[in-house]
Amino acid sequence: MLPVLNNADSLAYFWPEMILTAGAMGVFLFDLAVAKSPRRILWLTVASLGVLAAAALATSHVAGLSPTPIGLFNGLLVLDPWAVFFKYLSWAVTALAILIAGPSLEVASERMGEYCALLLAVAVGMSLMASSTDMLMMVIGVELVSMVSYALAGFKKHDRKSSEAALKYVVYGGVASGMMLFGMSYLYGLLGTTNLVGTAARMNAQAAMLAQAGVAASVAGAGRVAMVVAVVLVLSGVGYKIASVPWHMWCPDVYEGAPTPFTAFLSVGPKAAGFALAVRILYGAMSVSGGADLATAVADVPWPQVVGVIAGLTMTVGNFAALNQTNLKRMLAYSSIAHAGYILMGVAAASETGSQSVALYLVVYLFMNLGAFLVVGIVGRLSGSESIFEYRGLSARAPFAAVAFAVFLFSLTGLPPLAGFVGKFHLFKALVDRGGSWQITLAIVGLLNSAVSLYYYARIVKAMFLDKPHTEERIAVPASYNLLLGALVGLVLVFGVYFDGLRQLAGSSVVLFGHS
Amino acid sequence: MSPSPVGPYLPLAVTLLVSGLMAAALPVLAHFLGPRRASKVKSESFECGSVSEGSARQRFAVKFYVVALLFIVFDIETVFLYPWAVNFKALGWFGYAEVAAFAATLLVGLAYVWKKGALEWET
Repeated sequence: MLPVLNNADSLAYFWPEMILTAGAMGVFLFDLAVAKSPRRILWLTVASLGVLAAAALATSHVAGLSPTPIGLFNGLLVLDPWAVFFKYLSWAVTALAILIAGPSLEVASERMGEYCALLLAVAVGMSLMASSTDMLMMVIGVELVSMVSYALAGFKKHDRKSSEAALKYVVYGGVASGMMLFGMSYLYGLLGTTNLVGTAARMNAQAAMLAQAGVAASVAGAGRVAMVVAVVLVLSGVGYKIASVPWHMWCPDVYEGAPTPFTAFLSVGPKAAGFALAVRILYGAMSVSGGADLATAVADVPWPQVVGVIAGLTMTVGNFAALNQTNLKRMLAYSSIAHAGYILMGVAAASETGSQSVALYLVVYLFMNLGAFLVVGIVGRLSGSESIFEYRGLSARAPFAAVAFAVFLFSLTGLPPLAGFVGKFHLFKALVDRGGSWQITLAIVGLLNSAVSLYYYARIVKAMFLDKPHTEERIAVPASYNLLLGALVGLVLVFGVYFDGLRQLAGSSVVLFGHS
Repeated sequence: MSPSPVGPYLPLAVTLLVSGLMAAALPVLAHFLGPRRASKVKSESFECGSVSEGSARQRFAVKFYVVALLFIVFDIETVFLYPWAVNFKALGWFGYAEVAAFAATLLVGLAYVWKKGALEWET
């Protein structure tokens, strides 16, 4: 029997989220206290990072309390290595997004407090997404992340594009949440519970009931169709969060309009939480162990194939749409769509190594994608533009940023010896290990896509190093940005060579509550 | 009747079908059967019986929305406080702590909007 705690006992395992919730409110009040201070941004940054550091300490404390997975709040949430991994990842993304925002001119100093506090709230939401095993809790996690993200996307008050981003995000997000809830209502009707632990067994029992003698063929067929429809609808909510095709439409517009520090956050944080959720639903709940570390889907729900098709479509659409973009933020938005496709290959593999490669890739992706958006922020800070025109001859105007950008872009392509190669290699390997014909086909599609992506990444590198700049004016880069760039480049280079620790960390995190 | 998961939903399907048909049929029937004698008064927009004036597309100051939002927040607070008050003894100190945390959350919000000047009517 799996251990599940009641509400009062669960609080001892809920410190990170409680600290962040209290911290978010504290930052709101602290903002009032330092409103007159000339060092307001610095104070707020330090306070928010302090809250996140406390949350990280609390995470390691609660992770140490229970060596085995444990259910919290009567089974609404769980605390297992998978959740702990994504909690750390969420705190890290949030901390970086707050660090980036300080010197950025897009977040005005009088609104920095709101920015930090809202990001802390999103961090709680991402943690809830990664650790929920109940469909209702999943919706609450997704909504918490989405609602606050709408406000943050429209953070530039008098900017039309920012308002457009917020509005489009609200409309798409509302529809996606609605579809997900609708699918969940079907699943609840079919399985009789909102809890996802043991879904595989329930789905099998349901399929067995439909298959038994005395059930009319039409009824059995309708039951199967309802199950597949329910799964597809639930997946569309998750697909919207990770911006996969065909739920990617919001992504370029929102990324373009939102303030760059938040775009950087959005391209990594909620996406990672969405993948944590996807693996928890698909691998953790809806599959059973089928020998070795491979899982098999249950009850006529061909979800690995469905996810495989979505993965192929996502990377192809993302990469081909990115080819012609001249706005760097839009290009990186399509690139992040393509990357959602690559990572979905790890989900479609439906194996322990597949889930491990998803976790591994998301860490690598955090460094290289945040780094890429950081450079976009640096260039946009001076010119206010994200056009590729501004990047011509960047090697003469901001040499370090140009070199760092080249490293991030080649890492995003997946070229060795950078971290992106390591991440991609594990995704492909997990898929090929399954050995089926469609898995091999998908891997080939992924390889061809990587080749396509090299074109638009290299186009920027060419503009930065070979083209003449339109002005000789040097771009002033704040010292903290240079430090951050250096750290991120260092991580991308180091993880490209010494990746064994990271792989082991990701591997030991693939322990999901209730998955056998 | 065979044991099927779809069976219990049959009445629901019938209800949906009937209500859908009615929703489709009533406007169509009204269109063909109803007499239409348009007059100036009839084609005016209906405003609860009083004489309508001006355009409906007026712009409202955003402060109305802020007040409305704040009202909803504290309205919901009372909605949650009532069931707690009824079960005050059964829930004990744990319930008290929970409600105190809930009220404190809203208090922080109130302090923030107050200090930010969202409650100032004339700005």
